[in-house]
Amino acid sequence: MEAKLSRAAKKLTTSPIQELSQLAQSCNAINLAEGFPDFPAPPHIKNAAVSAINSDFNQYRHVQGICDHLSQMVKETQGLDINPLTDIAICCGQTEAFAAAICATIDAGDEVILFDPSYETYEGCVTMAGGVPIHVPLDPPHWTLDPSKLLTSLSERTKAIVLNSPHNPTGKVFTKDELETIARACCSQNCLAITDEVYEHITYDTVKHISLATFPGMQERTVITSSLSKTFSVTGWRVGWAIGPAFLVSAISNIHVKVTDSAPAPFQEAALTALRSPPEYFQTLKSDYQSKRDYIVKLLAGVGFKIQFIPRGSIFLFAELPEDCLLSDVEFVKKLILEAGVVAVPGQGFFHANLSSNGISKGRCSYQKRYIRFAFCKSHETLAAVSERLGNFFNGASFLR
Amino acid sequence: MQVHCICTHPLMRFPPSSSKFLRFSKHFHSLIAPSSSYSSPNFPCFILAATMSTDTLPNPSHTTTQRPVQVAKRLEKFKTTIFTQMSSLAIKHGAINLGQGFPNFDGPDFVKEAAIQAIRDGKNQYARGHGIPDLNLAIAERFKKDSGLVVDPEKEVTVTCGCTEAIAATILGLINPGDEVIVFAPFYDSYEATLSMAGANIKSITLRPPEFAVPIEELKSTISKNTRAIMINTPHNPTGKMFTREELDCIASLCIENDVLVFSDEVYDKLAFDMEHISPASLPGMFERTVTMNSLGKTFSLTGWKIGWAIAPPHLTWGVRQAHSFLTFANSTPMQWATAEALRAPESFYVELKRDYMEKRAILVEGLESVGFKVFPSRGTYFVVVDHTPFGLENDVAFCEYLIKEVGVVAIPVSVFYLNPEDGKNLVRFTFCKDEGTLKAAVKRMKEKLRK
Repeated sequence: MEAKLSRAAKKLTTSPIQELSQLAQSCNAINLAEGFPDFPAPPHIKNAAVSAINSDFNQYRHVQGICDHLSQMVKETQGLDINPLTDIAICCGQTEAFAAAICATIDAGDEVILFDPSYETYEGCVTMAGGVPIHVPLDPPHWTLDPSKLLTSLSERTKAIVLNSPHNPTGKVFTKDELETIARACCSQNCLAITDEVYEHITYDTVKHISLATFPGMQERTVITSSLSKTFSVTGWRVGWAIGPAFLVSAISNIHVKVTDSAPAPFQEAALTALRSPPEYFQTLKSDYQSKRDYIVKLLAGVGFKIQFIPRGSIFLFAELPEDCLLSDVEFVKKLILEAGVVAVPGQGFFHANLSSNGISKGRCSYQKRYIRFAFCKSHETLAAVSERLGNFFNGASFLR
Repeated sequence: MQVHCICTHPLMRFPPSSSKFLRFSKHFHSLIAPSSSYSSPNFPCFILAATMSTDTLPNPSHTTTQRPVQVAKRLEKFKTTIFTQMSSLAIKHGAINLGQGFPNFDGPDFVKEAAIQAIRDGKNQYARGHGIPDLNLAIAERFKKDSGLVVDPEKEVTVTCGCTEAIAATILGLINPGDEVIVFAPFYDSYEATLSMAGANIKSITLRPPEFAVPIEELKSTISKNTRAIMINTPHNPTGKMFTREELDCIASLCIENDVLVFSDEVYDKLAFDMEHISPASLPGMFERTVTMNSLGKTFSLTGWKIGWAIAPPHLTWGVRQAHSFLTFANSTPMQWATAEALRAPESFYVELKRDYMEKRAILVEGLESVGFKVFPSRGTYFVVVDHTPFGLENDVAFCEYLIKEVGVVAIPVSVFYLNPEDGKNLVRFTFCKDEGTLKAAVKRMKEKLRK
């Protein structure tokens, strides 16, 4: 009966992140692996959802007001003119918006550029649609984009470039120069861009998130995907969107309707309240997360991790194992769970062997097993508890000597 | 090997039946209000876009230049749904909407309160992708009561964003390009679209009035060892047919003989009025080859909550879960908690639900008969199909347009649910998932204004 599985399904494996979460749960470990908060969602948004349920907003719906608000927000933050009637599709989370965008554009054999390391789902989605993922490595320690690596990865089969910025797992925010490079490549190759901007409101220091679509020639070929989840700490509500040129958004919307029909109705209503949050909300979001970032950077650097790159955005820190640690990332994380009661994600799952650039020796790839991703979207109490547990763990860590 | 669309040659996209789609879509074009969000030229655009990358789209109001790249070839079947189009038109004309299948009354308080409590208790973050354990358990418990089958909640139950996603995940997870899949027409429109996306070779067997009985001989000659799966929807949307034990026994033996999977959409199982609902999975030899799909929405009048599920043996569940993890990754957390509560409702809830709907059915059916439709018996679901030809309109789409504009009532043209729209042009579908006042008002309008 196993033969009944589709070829695509046979290639795919369970999410390693979810597996580790399950191990962590069984060990009662503190979970710094999965990227969701352990503090409550903002009360004004929860109240809006409760109101919506009570007011009978419980049947299939498309809440046009979400599109109106998003159009306004994108105009204010990015300067882009978006038609709320034709250029926005509401989906069940950014996940579905991305899946629909891929299904709307990728045919068998189409190549899709992904920047490595990358969130595990993109490759699987591209593969499911029959596309060929082409990984362009970002260069450690600062995860910079080398334009020549991008250019050599392009071909006449390149259909789309996927860009996640602010970036999971590194916390990088692509610079203006890097975005220009990518934009020029898209335009000259006449390909699409599909962006994942879920961390768009979580940037640090004075770094501003700039959407790829704002570059010359890009708006007509870019699909922006994002969601409520990270900005409003409601990862379990499944309200996201795709923004782009009408012909693409219409295709995405039609797919969405056939795949799930509608995003959860009461949460669409609550999204209106969320998207109307005052500027102070977004400022507090940033400053709160920044203090968490600073805390965890100090903590991990203090116990011996190599932190050569401090996150400029997102809720993740990609820390390198101490020099004298002989374990691989996976071995280290297992020890961390079992002996320290803290769980993080081994970085190797974000790197892909199929690196498109030639001449990368195995030795140079060894960095791929040296990184651990920590999520710091946790309460101060949780982070303090982590500090204590890590302190104890590293004090007794004979494997480091 | 990768999933891909089989129709790579442009000319293959225009077999004779597709031209009916083009002509058919022009009818829709005339139905669309100019202000609707999803304007009609979409369908022809995809045909053009799929084959000619440099043509501009026939939509001069957008100041876009040369299309940079085309949309994927798999999108031919993905046009705006008839439901959205009809609903927009209904609003424009102030028509009573007996088209789209969602209630105008709300779900039970105890379920809504459970969701509210979950939100307040902070259950707002990602749940486990295939469902929170308590919901998987509640689904297994309910399935045992309904079908007698014992399933493992951890290995054989997957929660999805509504039954629509269960269907999409099942098809994308288990169907390869070129696989032959049998569907019974008329069929819920997402089947064809999703099968198309998976590159399936769709074979349609038409169910015909008055009983919409399964044509056994035609099924026997269609099914073969080349068939990968057969889709069953019972109780059936749009006809209200319920697959009988004899029909299912026959389908089962053919499936076992030819090693065919069954994808069974049972969302209306609690609205089984005239006979007992039978899950194909409960027949001997069938559980190991069946995916049984259902949801919260229809039973509990909460269609916008998007909690559905697929029950299947582990080797099939695995495929469903893989696809699900890329389609939506996780389902709405608070609604899952509430659904677990809902599924533990006492039997009296279901008894009353059926009784309510049977009263509504009576109002609508009697009304439609008295107005002059030929009404086909609806044994389950909250739909009834009728033959509109006594009123002299050219086809179902024209009739529905007339009904909205001149009478002020919405029905759905059923031809969109067939591979060959000609097969359905005499039929339209009404729904009775509306409060009695609305049903009576609709009947009154039809009595006053609908003329033969």
